[in-house]
Amino acid sequence: MSEETKTNRRDFLRKGSVAGAGLVLGAPAILSAEAKNAPSDELRVGFIGCGKQHEVLFDAMKNIPGMRYTAVADIMKNRLGGSASRIKNMFGDMPGRYFDVEEMLEKEDLDVVFITTPDFWHAPHTVMALEAGCHVYCEKMMSDTLEGARSMVAAMDRTGKLLQIGHQRRSNPRYQFTLDYLINQEKICGQIVNMNGQWNRAVGSSQDISVKESILPDEKTLLKYGFDKGQEGKLSLSDLRHRFVNWRLYKDLSGGPISDLGAHQIDIFNWFMGTQPKSVMASGGRNHFKSREHFDNVMCVFEYDTPEGGARAFYQVLTTTSAGGGYYESFMGTEGTVEISERAAYTNIYREGGCDRSWDPLVQRGILKKVASGQAAGGSDAIASYESAPPDQFELPGGLSKPPHQPHIENFVAAVRGQAKLTCDGRHALESEAPIYWVNPAAENSETIHFTDEHLHV
Amino acid sequence: MKSDSDIANFFGFLILRVWLGIRALITGIEKFSGSRSSEVAVNVDGEPNSYGLTADASDKVYGFSHYGGVPEALYKQLADEPLIPEFALKIYDIILGPVLILSGIALLLGLATRYSLLAMGLVYSSLTVGLILLKQDGGIAWLAIHVLLAAVALFNVRHNRFAVISKL
Repeated sequence: MSEETKTNRRDFLRKGSVAGAGLVLGAPAILSAEAKNAPSDELRVGFIGCGKQHEVLFDAMKNIPGMRYTAVADIMKNRLGGSASRIKNMFGDMPGRYFDVEEMLEKEDLDVVFITTPDFWHAPHTVMALEAGCHVYCEKMMSDTLEGARSMVAAMDRTGKLLQIGHQRRSNPRYQFTLDYLINQEKICGQIVNMNGQWNRAVGSSQDISVKESILPDEKTLLKYGFDKGQEGKLSLSDLRHRFVNWRLYKDLSGGPISDLGAHQIDIFNWFMGTQPKSVMASGGRNHFKSREHFDNVMCVFEYDTPEGGARAFYQVLTTTSAGGGYYESFMGTEGTVEISERAAYTNIYREGGCDRSWDPLVQRGILKKVASGQAAGGSDAIASYESAPPDQFELPGGLSKPPHQPHIENFVAAVRGQAKLTCDGRHALESEAPIYWVNPAAENSETIHFTDEHLHV
Repeated sequence: MKSDSDIANFFGFLILRVWLGIRALITGIEKFSGSRSSEVAVNVDGEPNSYGLTADASDKVYGFSHYGGVPEALYKQLADEPLIPEFALKIYDIILGPVLILSGIALLLGLATRYSLLAMGLVYSSLTVGLILLKQDGGIAWLAIHVLLAAVALFNVRHNRFAVISKL
């Protein structure tokens, strides 16, 4: 293992920003198809982090053939044992179990690792794993800091290994079909002028997580792994344990709701528009969870330059209300609107009532399914001169018959085998994520941030 | 010849026995159920699409691979309860479905009806423990009705007929 890999964790966390910025080179993105030493047989898989998101990924990948689950690492004994037992029960072999990631990477001969640790550990773990010769699938956000994310891309370029970021919608056939067929090829939206996205989550689903104390790591372990980051020497064991279980609530450990929930959807804005926004303005508040460090609700507007004359995207993340249609991304054009979500139930497609072009041929070709013709709401309170012609409603011709993360992992595995190109490599992920890092500062300072290369460069 | 009262008592007990047996048997079988989504690619421009879009349909299927004793969401909540050791929860999760099926079959066939009813009452009581810890009062009341029905059946077990093993 290289000296760089052995960098002290705490040093890495503290100095990562400087190191990361210095390592950004103009090397081409390694997308995969020609990946060197692509294994042709079983892939030896390691897991770094065995919490809830690990379970989501494992459930999504357990049906993918050609995987040997070789090792798991986590600092929490209970989760480590649980993950190892699941693997043994399902596949027969007990994987190696490690409290320490570096030890796992040194002792095990792994082809790929999946990283589902807290955001502030993504960059250190990704760099360690890439340097150890593994291809990496890392959950989004790439890092809690832009500099950390840049260090991941630099390590990807430096090592020539693959780095897939967990924006799983990019491999979802429903999203790919919508972008390729409906928006780009058939241009059913006409000129996209606005985008609108949201993730509304109820108070009940936004509470602090509590786990029984007896199974949580001790103080020495939590300090060793940096859960006192930003508050060194000031925290009790109870504080440390709260930060360990609820790391998403702390500014030194995560980006808060706008990155936890919003990152997936703002990524879709940027992917579908094929460009980065030129500015962001935002507002946020701690209006219900008053003692939390992060905003409990954030609203922001991104502006885009487009060949058709510009567009803007409104995004809101609420942790206080679930009403309003759940979570979706809506592309609103002069002729139609595509409201797409990872949940098929939240997906709707509308044809503007005044649109000259008939969508019947699209239905006949199987590109869309018609749900209902537009019907005026009517009623005594309707004032005709205020009303637009009601839109017709359509839906996608089919759905996804797998867990939502499975196609993204399949894409990663195929890329490692040299059979595909990553749908969300580190470089493209960072191009898309970079604007998200500026939402919280824009809201904190009540300012519009006009992006420059300094804000967005990879 | 039996009196009208004896026949009514027998029918009353039989109905209770059948209901409790079906309740346990079907609940246990359902713990082996899952869904299988359609994997038929939808046609676009007359050809199966290359994206992997499949027809929106799923079938309910049964199998050991779908088994889940304690529902997943409930399991995670219970695992965080300090008074419930995880090893005990794991064992309970494994045996709950089979116990419900076996007690349901035993009750329907009349195999040791008294002990089957006792086992059933204990299973419903044990389920109550977790719900008390999670403060799910509605579920507690729901289970209490089941326990009461099992107890009423035991009080009236002397009216049991059509049993394969009637002594126990």
